[in-house]
Amino acid sequence: MIRIAAVGDVHVDKDVVGRYRPALEELPDRADALLIAGDLTRHGTVEEAKCFATEFGGLRVPVVVVLGNHDHQSDQQEQVTEVLTDAGITVLEGSATVLELHGHRLGIAGTKGFGGGFAGACASNFGEREMKEFVETTEVLSRRLGEALRSVECDALVALTHYSPVPETLVGEPLEIYAFLGCYQLGQAIDSAHTTLALHGHAHHGSERGRTPGGVPVRNVAHPVIKQAYNVYQLLSEEVDARLVPA
Amino acid sequence: MTHQFDLEAEIQRLLTEHDRVAEQGITVQHRENVVVLGGEVESAQRRDEICRQIATHFPDLEITCDIGITRAQAPAEVEEIS
Repeated sequence: MIRIAAVGDVHVDKDVVGRYRPALEELPDRADALLIAGDLTRHGTVEEAKCFATEFGGLRVPVVVVLGNHDHQSDQQEQVTEVLTDAGITVLEGSATVLELHGHRLGIAGTKGFGGGFAGACASNFGEREMKEFVETTEVLSRRLGEALRSVECDALVALTHYSPVPETLVGEPLEIYAFLGCYQLGQAIDSAHTTLALHGHAHHGSERGRTPGGVPVRNVAHPVIKQAYNVYQLLSEEVDARLVPA
Repeated sequence: MTHQFDLEAEIQRLLTEHDRVAEQGITVQHRENVVVLGGEVESAQRRDEICRQIATHFPDLEITCDIGITRAQAPAEVEEIS
């Protein structure tokens, strides 16, 4: 059995430091790793990244993240990644990592992902250069996620993105902005491997649960959706124990 | 004159693009001369800054703020994925 904690869209800046920490101090008693689905900061500055590392670093479990669109706002994503990496946090972008937990291998592949929309209402690689660049970005990031997922040998495989791979977890958002919240290509990438669970954020008004066309469970872990510091998911269960608080 | 839909769009762009706000998850409903704000943010300072910026840029509007602060307590349950 493996338990993973997950949240997204924590948007850390100076004013948030300390808010999550009491719950994070309890996390190692509840889960074996923490995954964060992007929008770690407000504007993607180095200072905010240091605040994030202070708040979410130094736990007794591995922390694995992807960046979100907010983390790109200041065009300092490389420096942000460096700050996080120096703090012992694993940052995925078209890449994968494997954690050894209780004798099991947990594979995690991640990308920020991008928009583009879903079946019946998606952007096409056609027309103006700007539109083609938009869709090419969607396709490249999704393809790299698929390659990263298929490259991992593990007992359980998690796809970690910021943008959504399915429309079901966007329900609650205005239909008009679905194309800015995710894309079907991410779902195709997730279905191209033996993925156990897909986690994403970005859709603050969305819904918690969905599935890819191939049947992979999808969870929107955006903080305003889950309304707690993190959710905990149990993989490779031998028996189910829904209690998290130690007896 | 700014039309209702334009006003909502202008407020949402202000909340996203202003350096001191950067919020994309705030809902804006315009009812006659009252703007009702919804959604959740990470701190009371952020909620107050949203109201301050709208009041500064649109001084004739009355603002009703229903923005909440997202709770950050530890979970008590686990979900089994199968």
